[in-house]
Amino acid sequence: MRPLMLHGHERPITQIKYNREGDLLFSSAKDHVPNVWYSLNGERLGSLHGHQGAVWCLDVNWESTHLMTGAADNSLKIWDISTGQVIGSITTVSTVRTCVFSFSADLAAFSTDTQRKQTCHINVIDCRITDSFGSEPILSLPVPDSKVTALQWGPIDEKIVTGHENGRLCQWEVRMGKLLTEVEGHQGNINDMQMSRDGLMFVTASSDHTAKLFDFESLLHLKTYTTERPVNSAAISPILDHVVLGGGQDAAIVTTTSSRVGKFDSRFFHLIFEEEFARVKGHFGPINSLAFHPDGKSYATGGEDGYVRLQSFDQSYFEFNFDY
Amino acid sequence: MPAIEDTKISSWADEVDETSEDLPPPSEVIDNGLKIVTVYRRNEDGKKEKLICTYKTEKRVVSKTVAFRKTWKKYGASANDKPGPNPATTIAAEETFMQFITSKEDHDKPDDDLLEKLRGMADKTVKCRTCNGDHWTLKCPFKDTGYMPTKVNVPPALDDKKNLMPMDDKNKPSKYIPPYMRDGAKGRGDAMGHRGQRDDSCAIRLSNLSESTQEVDLEELVRPFGDYSKLFLAKDKNTGACKGFAYIHFKHKLSAANAIAFLDGHGYDHLILAAEWSKPQVQQH
Repeated sequence: MRPLMLHGHERPITQIKYNREGDLLFSSAKDHVPNVWYSLNGERLGSLHGHQGAVWCLDVNWESTHLMTGAADNSLKIWDISTGQVIGSITTVSTVRTCVFSFSADLAAFSTDTQRKQTCHINVIDCRITDSFGSEPILSLPVPDSKVTALQWGPIDEKIVTGHENGRLCQWEVRMGKLLTEVEGHQGNINDMQMSRDGLMFVTASSDHTAKLFDFESLLHLKTYTTERPVNSAAISPILDHVVLGGGQDAAIVTTTSSRVGKFDSRFFHLIFEEEFARVKGHFGPINSLAFHPDGKSYATGGEDGYVRLQSFDQSYFEFNFDY
Repeated sequence: MPAIEDTKISSWADEVDETSEDLPPPSEVIDNGLKIVTVYRRNEDGKKEKLICTYKTEKRVVSKTVAFRKTWKKYGASANDKPGPNPATTIAAEETFMQFITSKEDHDKPDDDLLEKLRGMADKTVKCRTCNGDHWTLKCPFKDTGYMPTKVNVPPALDDKKNLMPMDDKNKPSKYIPPYMRDGAKGRGDAMGHRGQRDDSCAIRLSNLSESTQEVDLEELVRPFGDYSKLFLAKDKNTGACKGFAYIHFKHKLSAANAIAFLDGHGYDHLILAAEWSKPQVQQH
C-alpha cells in the first residue's frame, strides 16, 4: 500500500472521522483549525477557522451537512461543511472533551472537562434550535466522580454510553436523564469508543494497554485485545471480523526512549479470537485517533506527529485467512 | 501605488534564476485517462532535470450526494488551491507493507524490553576490581582506602569447578547464568529464541537480483506462486540499493517448489535469477 500523508495540521491530531459515505474525512488537532479532506485522493476541501483553542473532538451528521467541533476555548461549534461557515456556537464553562451527534442529528451530546473547579457535565442539545447565539441544553447531567473522556449514542437516540477517566462505563437514558447501568470497564482512562457498523457493539481503547469489546445494550464485556502500550484509539472493521488498535508510548516519554521501542504501528486483531495478526508502520509518534473507511477497504490514522495517513489495503489483506 | 502591484515584480533572486535558465517550458498532455505533466528544472548541482509526473484520471460512479460534494468550492486555507490535491498538504508517503504475524510465539515475546533486560544483565555481571563487589570499580566504597580484599573465601583449587557450576559455595545462584541454562531455555543454541522456532522449510533464496530491485518488484515476482508470510530483500544500509539476494517465506511448500522451478534461470531485469531452497543458518559459536 502507498499511504497518503495529509499535512494540514501543525500540532498533534486529536480526532479523525469519516462521514457516512466515506468520501469526506474530518480531522481536528491541537492547533485551532479542523480540516476537511476528500478521502479518495487526499485533496483538502477546506479548513474551518473560528476556534481559539485546541480542538478535542468532532463529529459529522448523517447527511454530511453539519460538522460539530468541541474545543479548549470553552466552545462547541456547528459548521456548514459545504461552505466552512459557523452555523451554531455554544459557550461552555470549561473545555469540551467529547461531542457526538445522535443518529438523526436532531440531538447532540457533549461533555465538558473538570478544569477550573468545574464539575464534568454531560449536556444534550437540540441542534435544530442551535444558532450562533447558542442554546440552552435540554439535559445537563453532572458527573462528579470521574470525568467523561469518551461518549457514544445508542441506535435510536435513546441512550448514551460514556467512558470515564477511571475506566468505568456508564449507560444513560436521555429522556429521563437517568443512569441505567454502570460497569468497571477498564483499569485506566478510556481514550476512545467506537461503534460497530450495526450499532450493537462498541470497542473501547484504554490507557491500561487494552482495548475491549462491549455489548451496547447490557454493557457486557465480550472480548479483550491486549497490547504492551497505552491504546489511544480502536475501530471495528465494517466488513471483516477485524479490530484495529492505535496507540503507543505516552507522548511525554517518547523522547527519552529510542524510536525502535516506540511501537507506533497500527495493530490488527481478530475480533473474535482476540489475536493480533498484522501490523502497519507509519507514524513517528503515537497514534491518537483512527477510523475505518465505511467500505472497509481503507483506514486512516492521525498521530501525535501531526500527520493523518490514509492507508488503502492491499489485496493480501483481503486474501489473508486467520488460521484457527 | 496600485499600478505596481498589477505588474507583479518578482524578487531579484527569482529574476536571476529565470534569465540564466534556458529550460524548456513545462508541458501538460492529457492522453486517454492519463495526465502527463513534464517540468524541467535544475537540481542542486546545476544539472538539468526533467520531471515527468503521470496522473491517472479515474472515473467513478458514485451516489448523487457524493458527486455533489465533489463540486463544492474549497474554502479556508485551501480557498486558492487548484482542483486536485495540493502537494503542500497531500503527500504520497513511501510504500509500506502490512506485516502479517503468523507465528503465535512471535508476538507473545516481550521483545520491546530487550534493552531493559540487557541493562539488568549488565548490572549482574559487574564486578569491582577492588573488593569483588557487584558494583563498578569507580563506585567502590573502599576506593582510595587502600583496602585489599583477602581471597580466603574462594580457594584457588575449587575456583575452576565453581566457574562451571551456576552455584557458588554459599549454595546460592551465582550472578551470571548463561542463557541456555536459564529457566525456559530449551538447551544450548537457543539463545536467540525466535530464530530457532522460525520455520524455514518453505523459504527460498533468490539471488542475482539486479541492484534496482525494490520490495514491490519482488512482491510482483513471487505473488503468482501463492501466499507468503515474509519477504526479505537484502539492501545496502546506506544507499538502499538491493544487494542482489532475497529470501521469501512461503506458506506452503508447494508454492515454494513452484517458485523455484519457475524462477531458477528466469530472466529478470537483464539478469538471470537463481532460486534455491533457503539453507538453515550456520550456528556461530
